[in-house]
Amino acid sequence: MTQQREVAIVGVCATRQQRRSGRSALSLITEATEGALADAGLAMRDVDGYVAFTFPGGNGRQGSFDGNIAYQFGQPFGLVAQMSGAMAVLMAAAAIRQGTASVVVIPAGGSQSVQAGETADYTRPAFEFTEWTGSITPAQFALIAQRHMHEYGSTVEQFARIAAEIHNHGHVNPEAVMFGKGPWTLEQVLAARMIAEPFTQPMCSLVNDGASCIVVTSAERARDCRHPPVWVLGGAMEYMGNSYYEAPSLALMDSRPRMIAGFQRAGIRHDDTDIVMCYDHFAHAPIMQMETLGFCEPGEGGDYALEVMGLDGRHPVCPDGGNLSYSHNMIPYNFKQIEIVRQFRNDVPDLCPGAAQGVHTYDRAICRKVRDPKLAVACGPQTEGRHSFVLLAKD
Amino acid sequence: MPVPSPLTLPFWEGTRAHKLLLQRCRKCGAFRWTPQYLCTGCHAEAYDWTETSGRGVIYAFTRVQRPASPAFKAPYVVAVVRLEEGPLMLTNIVGSAPDALAIGAPVEVRFEKASEDITLYLFQPVAPVKP
Repeated sequence: MTQQREVAIVGVCATRQQRRSGRSALSLITEATEGALADAGLAMRDVDGYVAFTFPGGNGRQGSFDGNIAYQFGQPFGLVAQMSGAMAVLMAAAAIRQGTASVVVIPAGGSQSVQAGETADYTRPAFEFTEWTGSITPAQFALIAQRHMHEYGSTVEQFARIAAEIHNHGHVNPEAVMFGKGPWTLEQVLAARMIAEPFTQPMCSLVNDGASCIVVTSAERARDCRHPPVWVLGGAMEYMGNSYYEAPSLALMDSRPRMIAGFQRAGIRHDDTDIVMCYDHFAHAPIMQMETLGFCEPGEGGDYALEVMGLDGRHPVCPDGGNLSYSHNMIPYNFKQIEIVRQFRNDVPDLCPGAAQGVHTYDRAICRKVRDPKLAVACGPQTEGRHSFVLLAKD
Repeated sequence: MPVPSPLTLPFWEGTRAHKLLLQRCRKCGAFRWTPQYLCTGCHAEAYDWTETSGRGVIYAFTRVQRPASPAFKAPYVVAVVRLEEGPLMLTNIVGSAPDALAIGAPVEVRFEKASEDITLYLFQPVAPVKP
């Protein structure tokens, strides 16, 4: 089976991403959903699918999924599912290809209310075999990074270089939480506040408020939408255990065969792709993803990621600044798709004087536009023992 | 504080008695952690809570400098231990200078009472290194 242009992303929206917005998750997610539909030239009455981890209550905490989504919106849906990011796009695409849904929205986001001295709620779920150890999110993934260093030879310096590169993308993104806070050097990343060894603060995801939404539909419906379609060509997903629940390990490395099979099913070679939106929850992650996606062998990911990930490299990684520098609003998974769509559309805010008109200088001190991207990889969330990616292409 | 469920209560009764019990599959003999309803290897339902050696080696560890909340006093060491019986177990490591820890180092369980109902299962190096 080779790439078939049957399903497309036709609308995207991101609200302002900022710390302490004072807004509720519900208001942010509603804004993003309406914005994405307007971007597509569609309306809520056109929607018959909803894929999201949660329907936010008043305080944005991750709680039980509200199965009454269709009732909430006052219209019947053909698809309601609890997923996010690349996995949600793949699930929506499957339903659309099958004909059981036609226009699917994928909203995501959150609003933190963090008490002094505490880490954000979602970093310390009250699971009986985890919470007592104080193993917050950075500790969970620090364990994985430590083991990867031990078994596969990655290094703290590689993590720091990756973090500096991604932060330098966010540094020139006016929409990024860390806009203007760089430029960053390897030394600055290493010298920053230690969170859980080996991760210093800049190697860790941000914590902020905000929301986003993606609209996915069929090729037929896409014809009437406002922007050229961004085709969903395929991908893969694998589940194996749960962060916070199972003991962290390198089990996700075993997902490599399934990830490679996703490229093969779509008839796409790794070398044909350009942007790779690694899921950068922590700075070690692009290394593991380049290995598990099949771009390189396990053990080669450190050198490989650093070689390819720059804005002029073979596989630019997170030109928006990613989780580390652009936004982590509790459920930031849509941004891995949204940045690809915006780079394809040449809708890339940066410091180039002509950015708003789509005129870029490619001077990397001010510009984060990738030259002529056409075929990209968006990784799904690596938390909770999941790995996934989706392949996106423009005509 | 951990809240036991019917599935996990025997584990916590074990730690209260200073025993590290794991579910052992009655069909294939495999030990498992975290508590599950079925054997993760052969999917059989029948198991026995079985006392284990309490020994293992460090699979990975990290020193946490930023605590989860004021209830935690940093720095503290979070680790994954590879138990002799096979499974990986998330825990804290105590009783050693943090600089002395290494992946592969042998450790053994150390029980610490946290409440009337809950005794926690930390680990310490087998040959404690004086700071």
